[in-house]
Amino acid sequence: MSSKILVALRIKAPPLRVFEVFTADIGAWWKPNALFSFTPRAPGVLAFEGAGEGSRLVERLPSGKVFEIGPVRVWDPGQRLVFGWRQASFAPDMDTEVEVRFELVGDETRVTVEHRGWDTVPTQHVARHRFPDAVFLQRHAEWWRALLTGLASRTAMDVQERAREGDA
Amino acid sequence: MIRTALTSALCYRDPKAALKFLEAAFGFELVMLIEDNDGNLAHSEMSFGDSVVMIGSEWSVQSKSPASIDGFNTQTVHIHIEGDVDAHCARARAAGGEILMEPADQFYGDRTYRCRDPEGHIWTVGAPIRAVSPEEAEAASGLKVVKGWA
Repeated sequence: MSSKILVALRIKAPPLRVFEVFTADIGAWWKPNALFSFTPRAPGVLAFEGAGEGSRLVERLPSGKVFEIGPVRVWDPGQRLVFGWRQASFAPDMDTEVEVRFELVGDETRVTVEHRGWDTVPTQHVARHRFPDAVFLQRHAEWWRALLTGLASRTAMDVQERAREGDA
Repeated sequence: MIRTALTSALCYRDPKAALKFLEAAFGFELVMLIEDNDGNLAHSEMSFGDSVVMIGSEWSVQSKSPASIDGFNTQTVHIHIEGDVDAHCARARAAGGEILMEPADQFYGDRTYRCRDPEGHIWTVGAPIRAVSPEEAEAASGLKVVKGWA
């Protein structure tokens, strides 16, 4: 899969903790972006349904409907997470994939998100908003960077809460 | 991520090789990479300390790697570290950097070295090793400190 975006950020927590916040708390740190909405309806809340390969990432819409963003292809806690990523407007032959890697660096976790396969979505497709390819990918990468910053904040809260509970 | 106001953007003929070199030599970390439909690097950023540098291709007629213009540089990037300059230099050399100037103490109180990367970009690296007064710096260098000496 080519046409890819990669962003990385260091987060002050162990890899397993960051993995758990990424998956279990995605509804809390994920912030919708009007340019990259999954469905034409008002944005909902993201969730991983289940755990492990065979689970799926969904968006639960305010209407109660559930949109499947993609199946989980790799679920390796504290190491790697791979899932599919489709918007409702995608044709059957369009598919993108997100790989998240969690690496221990010193006392931090380096989280790397690689979002690939945008070459399957033609440049004139509605999901790309008539942006030239490079501009679209740049905006998408900036959004991922903002999302990872949200993940870092959420992880910091989680670490603090656990420290207070004596479970850090 | 907090963005600093000034960011250098460097051009390479082979920017993906540059990403590998800069990580191995200087410990820069890749924080953003965008590839087009053909797998070519469209944009990338590496972080070091509180700053980033952008590593790109020769994206216009006026944007050239030193490797394409007889090794000339029109600007260099200075890397400020806190710590062991000699160890930093050894790492850069082991990664394939050409050391143009071995680590040496400077009159202004830093220890620095200068390194040329595989495409000819020149990097200087320095760490503070002692505080120097303006008077001492002037006496040692023959220069006049006009403004801005901390």
